[in-house]
Amino acid sequence: MADNSVVDPLTLALNATPAFVASAVEFVEATTIVLAVGVTRGWRAPLIGTIAATATLAVVVATVGVALVTIVPEHLLKGVVGALLLLFGLRWLRKAVLRFAGIVAIHDEELVYQRELAELRAKGLKRNEFDWVGFVIAFKAVLLEGTEVAFIVIAFGAAGGAALVSATIAAIVAGIVVIAIGAALRQPLTMVPENWLKFGVGAMLCSFGVFWFAEALGMEWPGDALSIPFVVASFLGASWLAVRMLRALLPQGAEVEARNV
Amino acid sequence: MFRTLWSTLYGLLVDDGQLAIGALVALAITWGIAYAGGDGGRDVTGWVLLVMVLGLVVANLYRAGVDVRRRVSSAQR
Repeated sequence: MADNSVVDPLTLALNATPAFVASAVEFVEATTIVLAVGVTRGWRAPLIGTIAATATLAVVVATVGVALVTIVPEHLLKGVVGALLLLFGLRWLRKAVLRFAGIVAIHDEELVYQRELAELRAKGLKRNEFDWVGFVIAFKAVLLEGTEVAFIVIAFGAAGGAALVSATIAAIVAGIVVIAIGAALRQPLTMVPENWLKFGVGAMLCSFGVFWFAEALGMEWPGDALSIPFVVASFLGASWLAVRMLRALLPQGAEVEARNV
Repeated sequence: MFRTLWSTLYGLLVDDGQLAIGALVALAITWGIAYAGGDGGRDVTGWVLLVMVLGLVVANLYRAGVDVRRRVSSAQR
């Protein structure tokens, strides 16, 4: 896409920031499951599973990402990536709004962790054998959550070679930070305000989707990338209004009652 | 294998079918405006898409809230 050698710092920052935050959210979810496997069944198999899944994802990003950026025409790629980002972002934003309004339960890493621990303990472990259960669970968790990271990296990297590098580095740094904190604490990262992050990143993904799709159709945004913060603010404002509207529609106890329906 | 790939992709992009369809329709309308409206149409596509998607998000969440309220009240009866 575009001229890969000349990408301004603002564009790089705009690609790296959502890639970092969105990847961190996904890494928190994967780290919770890997931690649960490691604590209950030992660390060897889940760590090998994690490395295998990470390698698989690296190959996917390297092949699909680079191929897309270098082969597909710029306007077509921007249009497709814009549409996909919009759909992906709307999914995150909708869920975050419903969670803030109490209609969907807030994602509780501690609860997920305790449930995984109980399930894994129930499965038992034979000594002196490679723990395939631990390997498969860690591999699946990292691959599934990592697929979303790969999608985000490829989408934000679609702005050009330097953007792909910045999005990839942002995702890797997010992974290192989350895994390091998880390994140091040896407990799920419950302090991460996951819904706030999903709310913010959902708005950013939708904004990039709208921005790129319109650019693909030939529109020139006023101030180019400088108009993105305005679009993000519009999504945040509309979502905040939606939270207020839902809270007015379903006052106190909607979450508990909705769970019981 | 294709079914697994499809369900993974679908799960990655779609939380609510109506919202996803609405977004695709908004994208199609925007595309139509850009190609039928000439230069003038092209210059407003982003704003039109933004307004449509914002309206879609609020309307979809309102519908979700009304659905939950109806389910909750009918369960209480």
